[in-house]
Amino acid sequence: MPGVTLKGVGRRFGALKAVDSIDLAVEHGEFVTLLGPSGCGKTTTLRMVAGLERNDSGVIAIGDRVVSDAAADLFVPPDHRKLGMVFQSYAIWPHMTVFDNVAYPLSVRHVARAEIRARVMAALKLVEMEAYAGRPAPALSGGQQQRVAIARALVFEPEVLLLDEPLSNLDARLRAQMGDEFRALQRRLKITTLYVTHDQEEAMALSDRVVVMDKGRVLQVGAPEEVYHRPASRTVAAFFGTPNFIEARVTASRANGRDHVLAIEGAGMRGDCRAAEAHEPGDAVLVMIRPEDVTLDSAGPLSWQGTVVDGVFRGPRRTLTIEAQGRRFTVECRATRAASVGDTVTLSVDADNAWAVRP
Amino acid sequence: MTVAVSLEHREAALTHGLSRYGRPAAIGLLVLALGFLTVYPLAMLLYGSIHSTPPGMAGEFNSAGYRALLAPDNLQALANTALISLVKTGLSLALAILMAWIVARTDTPGRGVLEILITLPFFIPPILTATAWAMLGNKQVGTINLAWRWITGSDGGLIDVYSYGGIVWHMMQYATPFIFLFVVDAFRAMDPSLEEASRMSGASRWQTFWRVTFALMLPVTTSAFILSFIRGMESFESAVFFGTPVNIKVLTTQIFDMITQRAQPDYQAATAMGFASLVLMGLLLVLQGRLLRGRSFTTVTGKAYAPNVTRLGPWRWLTFAICFAFFLLTVVLPVGQLLLSSFFQFFGFYQIDMLTLEHYRSVWANDEFWHAFGNTMLLGVCGATATMILGGIIGYISTRTTWPGRKLIDVLAWLPWMMPGMVLGIGFLWGFATLPHWMPIYGTLWALLLAYMALGTPVAVRVTSGAYAQIARDIEECSRVHGANWGQTMLRILVALAWPAFAVGWVLIFFGIMRELSASILLYVPDTQVMSVVMLKMWNSGKPEDVSVVGLIMLALVLLFRWVQLRFIKRRISTL
Ligand SMILES: Nc1ncnc2c1ncn2[C@@H]1O[C@H](COP(=O)(O)OP(=O)(O)OP(=O)(O)O)[C@@H](O)[C@H]1O
Ligand SMILES: [Mg+2]
Repeated sequence: MPGVTLKGVGRRFGALKAVDSIDLAVEHGEFVTLLGPSGCGKTTTLRMVAGLERNDSGVIAIGDRVVSDAAADLFVPPDHRKLGMVFQSYAIWPHMTVFDNVAYPLSVRHVARAEIRARVMAALKLVEMEAYAGRPAPALSGGQQQRVAIARALVFEPEVLLLDEPLSNLDARLRAQMGDEFRALQRRLKITTLYVTHDQEEAMALSDRVVVMDKGRVLQVGAPEEVYHRPASRTVAAFFGTPNFIEARVTASRANGRDHVLAIEGAGMRGDCRAAEAHEPGDAVLVMIRPEDVTLDSAGPLSWQGTVVDGVFRGPRRTLTIEAQGRRFTVECRATRAASVGDTVTLSVDADNAWAVRP
Repeated sequence: MTVAVSLEHREAALTHGLSRYGRPAAIGLLVLALGFLTVYPLAMLLYGSIHSTPPGMAGEFNSAGYRALLAPDNLQALANTALISLVKTGLSLALAILMAWIVARTDTPGRGVLEILITLPFFIPPILTATAWAMLGNKQVGTINLAWRWITGSDGGLIDVYSYGGIVWHMMQYATPFIFLFVVDAFRAMDPSLEEASRMSGASRWQTFWRVTFALMLPVTTSAFILSFIRGMESFESAVFFGTPVNIKVLTTQIFDMITQRAQPDYQAATAMGFASLVLMGLLLVLQGRLLRGRSFTTVTGKAYAPNVTRLGPWRWLTFAICFAFFLLTVVLPVGQLLLSSFFQFFGFYQIDMLTLEHYRSVWANDEFWHAFGNTMLLGVCGATATMILGGIIGYISTRTTWPGRKLIDVLAWLPWMMPGMVLGIGFLWGFATLPHWMPIYGTLWALLLAYMALGTPVAVRVTSGAYAQIARDIEECSRVHGANWGQTMLRILVALAWPAFAVGWVLIFFGIMRELSASILLYVPDTQVMSVVMLKMWNSGKPEDVSVVGLIMLALVLLFRWVQLRFIKRRISTL
């Protein structure tokens, strides 16, 4: 089963560059997620791979086959790309039964009747919908429609599966469940998958690699842990959760494995942090600290003092807002940590959990 | 607190009083009024069909009327009606779907304007295009044939509108925009991912069109087909202009002929035929309901879609040409013909020395015409207003209340939908003739007004209930909670929010009244003539050039209203 390659792929709508020269290589069997804020061009990218939208620059290849080359005016229409796609609205045809919906990709390819029957039932079994084969499509719940859409996309054994926010119409609980099920299915079938979402948790839970996009460009590509802990820029960092940023100045820098350890100095604090690249002493950096990585009450390599100004109880955890040197920090701690407004606390962060990016 | 309590109290007392006496009284009154407009003419029609003489005269009950229907002549008329309507509906449907697809789904240049141009013929009174086409397509002196002979040098004719083909073509000019209005929104509103999913499943464009797009539109298409077929069976103008002179008979012209054109009018047979065709239409409507039960697919979700647009490349000029040609043939050509013949002494003889303004002068000085013009305007304004008020109330009751009796009101208001104007005309003719002397309706403008109201009510109800359905109930309840009573709520909120729909409905009904011929021709007396009747009489008395002038005046009115409507009511008419 082949992968998908995009080279310099772009698309404009009038003056707007919806997708601006994207390079991406999805390996065979890999699960890659396009993640980014609304309007950043995720759907447009996916639709160009599908052939539902024409790219006006660059080359798209599925496996070894170039399916779209803007310069050479080559464009393979969607029905000849052998891709499966699941739409955000599911696009289940309301005038057909569940069986007919799933059988459609086979029947337009003139597969023999008996074989259609066997393959449709197998596909429905895969998503545990075989009991619903005779149902008219409108009489399905959201989650069931989603399963049918997946069965329909898989039934003709496509080379690549494309999904555009398939879980966004479901409620939170079902979303998590369907996400896990789908991930398990994808692992089992080892089908190359390109997945679009704007939900960072979903992206991290499902993907082998995440592509973070903004304003039509790729900001960073990497495994979920990589983009979460080692973001390439402030924008990427800010996209996951609500990290704290501290402005600081570099006093020393040394290489450590593939990272660099920086000694930094900021307002009322000093210590060590890590960065992806070497810095000159005197460089300004932004240090990202995730709320859950801050420890209270123990001095460490990077620590400072502050006053609690707000506390919110969230069940398993407690979120504190702490003011230090006129800056506010968000800190997550155990719910049992009693902190009343006005208390003075010491914050400290492990050097491994402080990550510097260029401002 | 006290204020709230006293308000609540007052409201409760008011509601109580209303439900105790006001509500049954209001319902009763409405049922009575509607009954008079719909059930009464129907009952009189049935009576007339089984009674040997018109109502009010001594006679006996028998089935002679229905037996007369089996005469070969009448059976032929029935066959003609069905055949003509079927052919024209089929052709119009194909053309309308093609043009709706072009307008809604392709990158054809000027689609917005094309849409307005394509639907324009629907608003032009049929009698007007009928006279124009009679002058365009006359075998000997028709302008098209004259041009053909002049170009090719032959002495045959290219077309002859006095034929089955002519009748079908004339009806198509109305049926095509009618069906177009139905299907264009279905094309436009379809969730594009339904089609994209089909392409992704490996279906070609063509497979996708038939198996997804068309299949999804099948309910609305079927509905348009049946309604248009019924309209075709009710049509009078096309057949009376192009069929009667060459002895092609249809049901409506046959009824007209039996009542008005014979030395010894055969009222009973005409009435029986009217009643029989009514039953036929009723059956068709039932069939439609059966066919479509539970099969209307809501493909429209809350999201606003930019529909899939097919890039046609150079072909887009062909699609442009198709739509524009339709406009040319159905609007420009007939209007051009009216202009042309209005300036020449005799139509068919277009020489410089035959140019004249005489017809304009003659129409200007024609008291009969001006009288009819005044009548039409008066009836149009009063009729449209009264019908919209009635329709507004009925629509409100049937969509917004749970009053007992609202189902009955709904059904009564729908009855005229299946009554051809001609049939309703006979029903009212008998109905008014039997009224007691202190209700002298027959022979007055009231007769026409009531008939027009009956014919317009289904449209008015449909337009207004559509508008109410779009206004969230909360808005109304909110207003009432804040202390406005029912009347104020109705006026301030509903009417204020629904006024564009009211305006659209008003104009539609006004157009309907202006073009109405088949009921008017049975109900008019010399003093209550309307424009369409005068046109037909002028035409029959051999003054086609004067008819052209009258037609142009009518056309100017239509264009003015249509312009105002498009300009100031920024909502497309998709309600009819
Ligand atoms: N057919 C179109 N015509 C014009 N502009 C378009 C069209 N489709 C998308 N755009 C624009 O291109 C940009 C990218 O759109 P896209 O749908 O790819 O965003 P997205 O990342 O999928 O957003 P979301 O998360 O909201 O779905 C947006 O600014 C959008 O307005
Ligand atoms: Mg999107």
